[in-house]
Amino acid sequence: MGCKATLSLGPSPVTLHCEPTRKGGRMGEWLRSPIRGVLLDITGVLYESSAEHGTVIPGSVKAVNRLRESGMPFRLVTNETTTPTKVLLDKLRSFGYQLEERELFSPIPAVVKLLHQEQLVPHLLVHPKVEGELRVGEKGSPASCVVLGDAEDNFSYANLNSAFRALMVMPRPRLITLGYGRYYKHNQQLQLDVGVYAKALEFACGVESEVVGKPSPAFFNQALADMGVQAKEAVMVGDDISSDVEGAQKCGMRGVLVRTGKFTSSLLPHPTITPDCVVDNLAEAVDQILAAKGKN
Amino acid sequence: MRKIGAVLIDLSGTIHIDNTVIPGAIQALNKLRATDVKIKFVTNTTKESKRILHDRLTCIGFTIDKDEIFTSLTAARQLVDKRALRPYMLIAEAAREEFAGVSGQDPNSVLVGLAPECFDYEHMTTAMRILLEGSPLIAIHKARYYKRSDGLAIGPGAFVTGLEYSTGCKAEVVGKPESSFFHTALQDLGVSAAEAVMIGDDARDDVCGAMTAGLRGILVKTGKYRAGDEDKVDPVPSFVADDFPRAVDYLIENGLSLP
Repeated sequence: MGCKATLSLGPSPVTLHCEPTRKGGRMGEWLRSPIRGVLLDITGVLYESSAEHGTVIPGSVKAVNRLRESGMPFRLVTNETTTPTKVLLDKLRSFGYQLEERELFSPIPAVVKLLHQEQLVPHLLVHPKVEGELRVGEKGSPASCVVLGDAEDNFSYANLNSAFRALMVMPRPRLITLGYGRYYKHNQQLQLDVGVYAKALEFACGVESEVVGKPSPAFFNQALADMGVQAKEAVMVGDDISSDVEGAQKCGMRGVLVRTGKFTSSLLPHPTITPDCVVDNLAEAVDQILAAKGKN
Repeated sequence: MRKIGAVLIDLSGTIHIDNTVIPGAIQALNKLRATDVKIKFVTNTTKESKRILHDRLTCIGFTIDKDEIFTSLTAARQLVDKRALRPYMLIAEAAREEFAGVSGQDPNSVLVGLAPECFDYEHMTTAMRILLEGSPLIAIHKARYYKRSDGLAIGPGAFVTGLEYSTGCKAEVVGKPESSFFHTALQDLGVSAAEAVMIGDDARDDVCGAMTAGLRGILVKTGKYRAGDEDKVDPVPSFVADDFPRAVDYLIENGLSLP
């Protein structure tokens, strides 16, 4: 069952196909124009994070498989910086995800590239597990930037103070933050994210952060370029209304919010951000994307 | 020229740093007391109660009455009582006695002072969760940094700003540079803001804050002062002195009047 309508939306008429979605009703507005690539957040979309291993989100493994089988290009874009990417990949594979390292975009390799390119020596305030990957620059050289990651318990007063002092003595202080999130879900509860500490240092030192990771457009564009897809042809699916949804929309992508992960119903309606769609989980998002695929 | 009837004097960084007297400060204070101005010591120091602070100042040689000290902790306590709040307190151990009798059970607010020992990830996360329920955030002050014996240290303002960002709330600030703080300090001296001057080492929180509240402001180049601070605030200080003794001399030389 469906209908066909011809509308004038500019110089040439456009033919729209309206198909009922699984939930009934017309195809969502966000599916009208072609989708040629999908970006997926990890924590809160593929799995729920916890102190031990975490738990896979029902339907997400199958959803990712369906994307792959359908030939729909996708990449994972995460701000996860408490774990090295290899460890994260192993964890996802243990849940049944079939993924390749090159499909995962993390702020860590992105910032390492930046540090090399600009010959920066970082003062690190990051999780101990990722410190090794970020030790760049000549040993003993004075720090020329602070790199802030999700340090969790490493966000002690002493460590914040060291980072503060490091910035205050730099001739040209640079504060590089791996993400700008407000909070995320871990062990079934919300806890502070790196953005909180970026704001703290911005306030204390009077500097502005440079964000590597979501929602920086450069970060999204890197993943899009890797897929060979333009922003207007791509959809980002995430649980963070700012970093994922708004970040994507500001780049020209569509942003879909899931009700898993850090989502709370009190978030909506949001005063400034309107997701292109709100779905229960990744499975629902992929159902809709693939249903529309054949029609565009 | 305005006649000055009251002098508000900052403590940490202005007349002392921890247990060290700023050279000449004791004599300068005596000189000021010999005039007819009213004096109050106003401080955002929240790491210790008024009693402990008074003991420290007395130990190092100052003659100060406890009632002459008005702290942002006092201002915070007044607010908590007025609104019958049950705060989750990120307050230094030594400051807790100011909140004796205040219940923290089933908290309906968060109170943040200068408490490095409480600014760890666990405490901050707990505070965030309480704020996400819609509870108010009360900041005793929002200092960006403060001077310790081992150098500058990141201040509670940074952590308050982080919590505001995390939860989308706006902190209510009770200490300097809020105008209400200066007005409350002057209240029992019976002197108006226009006839008062604030002397302090923090261009923004002491001097600019006071001047915005209608007082005159003298910036001293001790404590947390960094070169050029006077150019970064608006309005510019009424006067910039090398230190507290010089500030007092300036006031007396000008017949206790300021333009």
